[in-house]
Amino acid sequence: MLFFLEETRENLYFCDVHIKKVLKRKGEESMAKKAKAATAPVPVGNKKNFWQMLWKQRTLLLMAALPVAMVVIFKYVPIYGVLIAFKNFKAARGVWGSDWLDPFWKNFQTFFKNVNSGQIIWNTLKVGTLTLLFTFPAPIAFAILLNELRGNVYKRVVQTVSYIPHFISVVVICSMLNGFGSTTGLFNDVREMLGMARVDMNNGSTYFLLMYIGSAVWQGVGWGSIIYLSALSNVDTSLYDVANIDGANRWQKIKNIVWPTIMPTTTVLLIMNVGNVLNSDYTKILLMQNDTNRSQLEVIGTFVYKQGIEGGRFSYATAVNLFVSIICFILVFGANMITRKMNPENSLW
Amino acid sequence: MAFQKNTQPKNKVYIGSKAFDVFLILFMLVLSIIFIYPFLNVVATSLSSNRMITTHQVTFFPKELMLDGYRMLLKEQDILGAYWNTIVIALGTAAISLVLTSMLAYVMMIPEFVLRKPLAVFLLITMFFSGGTVPTYLLIQNLGLYDTYWALILPNAVSAYNVFVYRAFYKGISTEIREAARIDGAGEFKILSMIYVPLSKALYATFGLMAVVGVWNSYYDALLYIREPARQPIQMLLRKIVFISGVTDKMESTMMMTNGQLNALNVKYACVVATIGPILLVYPFVQKYFAQGMQVGAVKG
Repeated sequence: MLFFLEETRENLYFCDVHIKKVLKRKGEESMAKKAKAATAPVPVGNKKNFWQMLWKQRTLLLMAALPVAMVVIFKYVPIYGVLIAFKNFKAARGVWGSDWLDPFWKNFQTFFKNVNSGQIIWNTLKVGTLTLLFTFPAPIAFAILLNELRGNVYKRVVQTVSYIPHFISVVVICSMLNGFGSTTGLFNDVREMLGMARVDMNNGSTYFLLMYIGSAVWQGVGWGSIIYLSALSNVDTSLYDVANIDGANRWQKIKNIVWPTIMPTTTVLLIMNVGNVLNSDYTKILLMQNDTNRSQLEVIGTFVYKQGIEGGRFSYATAVNLFVSIICFILVFGANMITRKMNPENSLW
Repeated sequence: MAFQKNTQPKNKVYIGSKAFDVFLILFMLVLSIIFIYPFLNVVATSLSSNRMITTHQVTFFPKELMLDGYRMLLKEQDILGAYWNTIVIALGTAAISLVLTSMLAYVMMIPEFVLRKPLAVFLLITMFFSGGTVPTYLLIQNLGLYDTYWALILPNAVSAYNVFVYRAFYKGISTEIREAARIDGAGEFKILSMIYVPLSKALYATFGLMAVVGVWNSYYDALLYIREPARQPIQMLLRKIVFISGVTDKMESTMMMTNGQLNALNVKYACVVATIGPILLVYPFVQKYFAQGMQVGAVKG
């Protein structure tokens, strides 16, 4: 079962970097091993050695046992549980004991025959794509501008302030949006200042995207810029000296020094984010839904929650979830393929 | 930065650059206000009188100061219970996660450990594949953890990403110390707890805080696994007040609202302030650790 969702963007980025390093290290190790194998005499009774070693390291095994058991129970058992997407799940009979559906892809069929599923997929795509379109470039622009800002103290203050929204929970954000969008709220104060009439922005779905994406940008722009700023802190300063001698202006320096520096980071993050297009933040949408807009705001995540947890249609919800994660996997794979064709050294694998 | 010392005065590039600097300073000022102002407005509104709120006069500071929103929150909502639940879950998660992750990371750091590579693959798989909402929900029910604190603590105890970062951090500690301790007769548990843990204080501070903030801010797990109102964490209480029942299920608030003494925003925003208050209070002291944590991950991951 392929799920790119739960990890946050930055986590995924780091694990990617990590994987690359592991792969590299592996390569080095295998090279070293080959070299060793060429010179050293072939060890006798390798298999016995392994068990002897294992017995010697039993304290370590004991130490790893509990955490490994936790991973098996809470990570691997649910992966195995995905099987119920193809079964008629009965709680009393368990995952294995439940009968297979006939045909086993029946749940997928049901989903595509559902009149609402087209609308749900479209909503998910729309929310995901628009969010990506705005939340992705914003931290880059912010990082570049911060990098150009003079005065280290001021810069640090702006940075610190910009991180604050990141630490606010989704319930708080939605509560604030709810309050600000009400007729006496902040958003309507701004609207009045601009000469527009006061409206209840929580009613209906007209303002949903604006509030959803706006708050996502507000929350993510500062925190997202950290990674680009740390990439920029590694710029070779002599490049600036050379640019100054050549009489380059600020824009030319940004274009020719700053941008190439953050380009690799940008590509990797973009690939990870394309995979997340279908994983709109359903915990947020779930909160922003109300009786007046529910039908227009349904996305796959909220649909899975309602069918699976509220409606008790476990198999069906799992099947829909599985379908989405497969699409996500294909999207990441496709994005990476395109990157590799265009610019091989920036691709993930 | 070297380019700051542009020594050619009065040429076109120089003036343009200065103008850009001024623009940038102002622009960042505006942005900072945008980052801060919503919080100020929430605090101010929660403390203002109904009259001031309905006539849209509240901006940066409270007008006609009034504490009834907070009084109602304390009196009619179980906010202290919600705080208690959140704190228990947060500290439980942080403690269990730090202990378990340390043990696994330590084992995986030791180069001669025979199962090191299989374990790495075993963890990597969980980074890319996951069961999703429903199978995890069924698991929690089958284990009998439903409606207990454990349902919110145990599933998040060991994450592959954390193990890899811990391991990278431990690798930065010289192996000679470990060898020396082993020669002195220290067992693995002792080496980990007496040498590695004290040397990794920065790591524990960062990840402990991250765990606490993560739990403090999450509501979805509680929505899935906790039904009993007395065990709901603070985010669920906020959700209830703002989105589900409002404050109209309570007698006194309802009366005060019909009298025009109280605005619904008073109680809602008071609960928002109660929810983010602890986070914002510790934020100035911990934000350094978080930014460092990001960089630890970036450099050493």
